[in-house]
Amino acid sequence: MPLPESMSRVVVVGTKSRIEEAIEAFYSTRALHPVDHVSGADGMSVGTPLPANSKASERLLKVRAMKKELGVTETTETAKVAVDEIKNKIASGSVESTETEVLKVLDVKNDLKQRIAELNIRKKNLEFLMAVPVDLELYSGYRSLAVIAGTVKEDPSEALKSLADSESFVSFRKKEGGTAAVFVRTENKDKAASILSEYGFSEIQVPEGKGPVSEALVQTEKEVADLCDKLESVEKEVEALQTKHRTFLRASEEELSIEIEKGEVPLRIAVGEYSYIMDAWVPMNMVQSVTAELESRLGNDVHVEFEETRGRNMHEEEKAEERFKKVPTKSKNGIIAKEFEYATSLVATPKYQEIDPSILVMFFLPLFFGFMIGDCGYAIPFIILGAYGLKVTHHKDWRAIATVLFFGGIWAFVFGFFFFGEALGMHFIGHWEPPLDMTWEGLLGIHLPEWFTGIMVDGHGISKLGSHVSMLLKLSVYIGIVHLLLGYVCGYLNVKRQHGSRHAFMEKGGWIVMFSGMVVLCYALTQVLFDSVPLEGTVMYLLVIGIVMVATGVAVASRTDGIMAILELPGMVGNILSYTRLVAIGMSKAGMAMAFNYIVFGMIMGMSESVVWPSIPILVIGLLLFAFLHLAVWTLGILSAGLHALRLQFVELMTKFFEGGGTEYKPLKVKRIKTILTQTKIDKEV
Amino acid sequence: MAMEGDVGSGLIAIGAGLAVGLTGLGAGMGEKDVGAAAVGAITENPGIFGKAMIFMVIPETIVIFGLVIAIIAIFAM
Repeated sequence: MPLPESMSRVVVVGTKSRIEEAIEAFYSTRALHPVDHVSGADGMSVGTPLPANSKASERLLKVRAMKKELGVTETTETAKVAVDEIKNKIASGSVESTETEVLKVLDVKNDLKQRIAELNIRKKNLEFLMAVPVDLELYSGYRSLAVIAGTVKEDPSEALKSLADSESFVSFRKKEGGTAAVFVRTENKDKAASILSEYGFSEIQVPEGKGPVSEALVQTEKEVADLCDKLESVEKEVEALQTKHRTFLRASEEELSIEIEKGEVPLRIAVGEYSYIMDAWVPMNMVQSVTAELESRLGNDVHVEFEETRGRNMHEEEKAEERFKKVPTKSKNGIIAKEFEYATSLVATPKYQEIDPSILVMFFLPLFFGFMIGDCGYAIPFIILGAYGLKVTHHKDWRAIATVLFFGGIWAFVFGFFFFGEALGMHFIGHWEPPLDMTWEGLLGIHLPEWFTGIMVDGHGISKLGSHVSMLLKLSVYIGIVHLLLGYVCGYLNVKRQHGSRHAFMEKGGWIVMFSGMVVLCYALTQVLFDSVPLEGTVMYLLVIGIVMVATGVAVASRTDGIMAILELPGMVGNILSYTRLVAIGMSKAGMAMAFNYIVFGMIMGMSESVVWPSIPILVIGLLLFAFLHLAVWTLGILSAGLHALRLQFVELMTKFFEGGGTEYKPLKVKRIKTILTQTKIDKEV
Repeated sequence: MAMEGDVGSGLIAIGAGLAVGLTGLGAGMGEKDVGAAAVGAITENPGIFGKAMIFMVIPETIVIFGLVIAIIAIFAM
């Protein structure tokens, strides 16, 4: 079983005057995982960011602000730019000059937007006042007269009549509400306001101006239209600016982010007056190449010292200094198992000293998924979807899902064809006797050749909803036993590596014996209780062996786990029975598919007795329904089979040996997406 | 299959239905609390999705047992 890659610790010491070059060299190795320095350790404190960082941060802020304003997103298509080119542009002040150019246009755009918003408010107020036959200049300019104008929800005409020395203009429509303008003596203003407030009054600001409201409204509408035209042309300018600068913005953002990241490295290492010291983890097989790389780039100004290669025994970790205790985990999985690391990472990052479960997940997750689906008809879309996903997506989440669909689909095809012999819920071989026996042979009226039936288990495949149910349940239990036993064995191997054989036997050996004993005991008991086999001979021996093994296992395990060893016994049986879901879910899918097939062929197409093809319209409707219903089963398959297959890995398998809690290996390296290295630098990615 | 037309078959069918229905109810009640807490915890820290899922699916085993009992009742009795 694969363990994470062996890691070595090195110390890199160099002269502070060349720290910038040193950081470039660290990045070029793409293998150094620095141990964060703690101020005070070794009498040295952490360093400060490189001087260029503050300017770079300022520029990055400007670039990101411009990106947002111009609508340049991560999905905007842009060309790649050579690193030297973008560096020169940034150094020559392109960020600042672009900002000036962009801000100039954006200021005009914002002013226009603000002006249009103001005019729209004016327009709205004028529209309200249209109903009042008073010119605009008459609303203001009085000494002893107050004017209140606004909208009302109910008609205040009657109430306003009680106001002495006042003139009211009310326009009201029952459904739309209305407008009221009241001219009243200054001292009566509060009284008027209080009367209006009872009628849902909301005051509006009377726009300044002269002449009839209608003229002012026409004038305002014209102004709004003019400004909108101007805004449109400015937006075109913004669009042109986006097209002109988007490549520069995305490339400079990436370059500046990389510069800042590199500039912050001194914050993670020890820096003194004249030198710097960096402790770092390196994959064991890369120590020499890393040393050679650093020495070739920095000459005598760097010294790399090999400190240790950490073993898997926990004593080594306990003896180590606090900051060197945890070793980063670099998974060592093949090209396929790598895609399943994501599933493991959903639980935790493996510890340096333990088996990486990804390889087991790689094997069992698609296997269980395929077993639960177990149908050629559903398998083919899974394979196509998975292959397409693997081809187009680079996101790790989607890749993980696509991998499961692809390999799960292959298993589903294998099980569906050879083991279950069915497609879309119908067996290939057999007679047409709905609802339980609906077959492709019967439906299409053909007779499949002998060799075809010969390659299937039992001549026609195993029926999920018939006489083979007991066999399938037993099979799922056997699969569970193997899966769980593998988990226990991995647990034993983990503890053996971490603490030695004796400790491993005491901690995990007892559980293996107990589990094996439980399996033997349960087998003997089922023989006696369900199959009515007399309690003698082999069954008797098995029963005794089972009891002895369980007792021995409990005795050993209880020394480390105490009472839990006994309490876990029913849990073990539960764990094994949990695998019956492999069949239960397969059956539920098959049951749904059978019901849908009967609805389509038996009830809609009228073939409940024998196959007589209906008229074309009925046939088309039936086939459309057939496709839709099976699409529903297929979609449910992704959810139920996928989640349950994952659960069996997470809950049943991993809890037997996987502890997690490791630190992910994150070497100093950069990933360039929008900037490219020029040919001379291509081999020395920095 | 014990699906004749007698009272025994009817009782078996009722028993199978009760096995699935009641365990489904129980699992649902269990998952209700765990699920709510798990969603809250994942919102705080998406990194614990796997662990949250483990807790989430523990009560659901019971309904699988119910389904297995129902299958045995219908097909194997």
